[in-house]
Amino acid sequence: MNKKKFSSLSNKIVFSIAFVSLAITIVVFIISSKINKEAFHQIEIEKATIIAQTIEPLIAVNIYLEMEDKINQIILQLIENPNILAIKVIKNDKLINYIESKEYKSDIKESFVVKRTLTQPNSTKTIGELVLVYSNKGYKKLIAKYTNLTLMLIVTLVVLFILFGLYVKKLLRPLREISKLLKNYSVNKNIQIPFISQNNEIGLISNTLNNMQQKILQYSKKQENINRFLEEKVNEKTLELNAQLYIDALTGLPNRFSMFHEIDKIKDGALLIINIDDFKEINDFFGHVAGDSILKKFSNRLKDIFKDNEFISLKRLSGDEFALLFAQKPPLQEFINIGEKLIEDVEKMLFFHEKSEVSIRVTIGGAYQIEGALEKADIALKSAKKQQKSFLLYDEKLNIEDEYKKNMEWVKKLKKAIERDRIVPYFQPIFDNSTDKIASYECLIRLIDDEDSVISPYYFLNIAKKSRLYSTLTKIMVEKSCIYFEYLNYAFSINLSVEDILDKDVVNYIKEKIQTHNVANRIIFEILESEGIEEYEEVSAFIGEMKRLGCRIAVDDFGSGYSNFEHLLKLNVDYIKIDGTLIKNLDKDISAQIIVGTIVDFAKRLNLLTVAEFVHNKEIFEKVKELNVDRTQGYFLSEPQKSTINN
Amino acid sequence: MKKIALLFFILVSYVYGYTYNKLLLKAQASIFPKIIMLDKKLYEKLVDGKIVYTIVYEKNDYYTASEIGRFIEANYKNASTKYAYKINLVEFSEFSSETEATAIYVLNSNNQVQELVDYAKKKGIITFAYDINYLKSGFLFSLMLEKSAVIYLNKDNLNSNKIDFVDSLYQIVNFLDKSSG
Repeated sequence: MNKKKFSSLSNKIVFSIAFVSLAITIVVFIISSKINKEAFHQIEIEKATIIAQTIEPLIAVNIYLEMEDKINQIILQLIENPNILAIKVIKNDKLINYIESKEYKSDIKESFVVKRTLTQPNSTKTIGELVLVYSNKGYKKLIAKYTNLTLMLIVTLVVLFILFGLYVKKLLRPLREISKLLKNYSVNKNIQIPFISQNNEIGLISNTLNNMQQKILQYSKKQENINRFLEEKVNEKTLELNAQLYIDALTGLPNRFSMFHEIDKIKDGALLIINIDDFKEINDFFGHVAGDSILKKFSNRLKDIFKDNEFISLKRLSGDEFALLFAQKPPLQEFINIGEKLIEDVEKMLFFHEKSEVSIRVTIGGAYQIEGALEKADIALKSAKKQQKSFLLYDEKLNIEDEYKKNMEWVKKLKKAIERDRIVPYFQPIFDNSTDKIASYECLIRLIDDEDSVISPYYFLNIAKKSRLYSTLTKIMVEKSCIYFEYLNYAFSINLSVEDILDKDVVNYIKEKIQTHNVANRIIFEILESEGIEEYEEVSAFIGEMKRLGCRIAVDDFGSGYSNFEHLLKLNVDYIKIDGTLIKNLDKDISAQIIVGTIVDFAKRLNLLTVAEFVHNKEIFEKVKELNVDRTQGYFLSEPQKSTINN
Repeated sequence: MKKIALLFFILVSYVYGYTYNKLLLKAQASIFPKIIMLDKKLYEKLVDGKIVYTIVYEKNDYYTASEIGRFIEANYKNASTKYAYKINLVEFSEFSSETEATAIYVLNSNNQVQELVDYAKKKGIITFAYDINYLKSGFLFSLMLEKSAVIYLNKDNLNSNKIDFVDSLYQIVNFLDKSSG
């Protein structure tokens, strides 16, 4: 930072006053000089005029009385006046007297002329003229005198201002001294400022500064105490936070962060991730308190198991997930054995909650390398769960990474297709078995890829669900189907998942499109009869709302595993679409025939229409008819097309 | 009756001389002696070191003349002037070249005054007249009471060689000349 040049306030005050005063003086001088010069000149003219006026009657009388010698006397007396340079007396246009002074003779140019008309005494009759040539000497003297006085005034002013400046400096010197003293001021140093005894502003400032010092000292002591206290508190809290950051509060085990921190320092280690199977059920059944208690006890037992192994440290990664971090890699078989042994040990463990016995199982994923250990052990764990194995070691051959990669590519492809409007409905007719005519169409989603190949939803629907694109696909299908069937006299069905029905945004969108395209009485919503459908009040509310609008509801894949006729009654559906797994072997599978027969019978009693899908040959079609299924859908009759048959 | 009245006035004028304005007489008696003092060549006109103010009158105006004389004497008796005043009363019939005078003041007269005027001019005597009309005859000063007292001076009668008044006098007098009629 640049140091500012010191600029004296006293100097500024004095210079400002001096400048203003001198400026005023000069302006006054210039103005008054002009006025005075004119006034001085006027005075001289008046003096000359007075002289002329004084002698004018005498000259006039003497001209009138023709006493020329007297006129001579008068002008001789007059010419003695040093200011009068010449006198002319003219009688009736004739010069009768003329006299010049010596000065005038020496050619003095600085003069002026005063003329007076001479009139006859007691009359206005002009009898002559008196001409006075008057010197400007007097005027010049006055001007010189005036200038000298002004210069003296300016000089006096300058001297006065210098003295004034010195006086002001003297008055303000204590302020400088105070500032010098205060330069070295620090909170702990008490500076005794003099001038307290002065009975003026300096004294007031000095007193105030002394009081201020006292207050600052007191305040600083208070601040120091507060700071010390705060520092202590901050240190305590920092320790607490550090502990919270790296220690799991429930089990007291090092947490995920701690593991990240630690894993970086390990050069050749391994990792096992332990996940408690279906721990959610324990929480739901016994409550979270019991769940936490079991987790605590489980962690203690794990601690006990590995307490003697200095290379293994136990961590808690998340709710039901623990990790065993190996600081040093054991032989592979030993590593596997540790994992498998642990699974066995856990199966033997019994936990008690109130009077209930609770046993748990775990799945373990392992990574026998420290590089990317957490991700790899996690992949292994997920694969183990998927394959319903208790223990799986990460292996490059698992191709899990490839699967992830493929999924990501599909997400990309899906997003691109949405952007480029390459998601389209294909239409598969559903035939009425009594008339063999088309009763309705099912709108099936297809993705058209860059090579214009038609991609089945089998490849992308699950990925769409994971990547939250599912609702977008539903909206596209709803809109395109409604537009397509707006002016076609066919009923048509659209598949909805429970997630769609629970999504208010999607439901509102469906309602809007139905009303916009006026298809309410022709649209059928096919809801997958999956786990949980009956548990949602929202599903029931959605069905009620849609039916009020005139829509119809079908339960899709009925009979696939969770079939519950009671729920069907509650949901008030219109169609039952029998699950394809029952239909595809219907011609040979007797038990399938019994189940389908039961479903049809039940549906008939409830006045519901049944639909058999996946009918792919004549035999099955015949069997479907034989079992009195109302409608048939399948490749045997028609594949899904990009347009309806009539079109 | 008218005849009696006319006779009465004739007799009165015979017995008592001319009718004078007393105020005018007093004014003239006050001012004219002072005008004499304004003559710068007064010392040449002194008679035995005195200013002789000669009042010339008709016989019937003796009383008036003596009154004027007394008034002037009374005024200048104790006045601290440089020169003493002497009043000289002279009847027109008695006036001659022997009559001593520094200044002459004439009252009204039936007689010719030309001789007197010529004598005065010759001697450089200052002349005053009661009646302004006498200025046409050659008298120098007269005085009239108008809004104030106005001194008249006949410019043509001013003999500058023997009479030289101070300039200020010329400032206060009213000049008469031939052109004035």
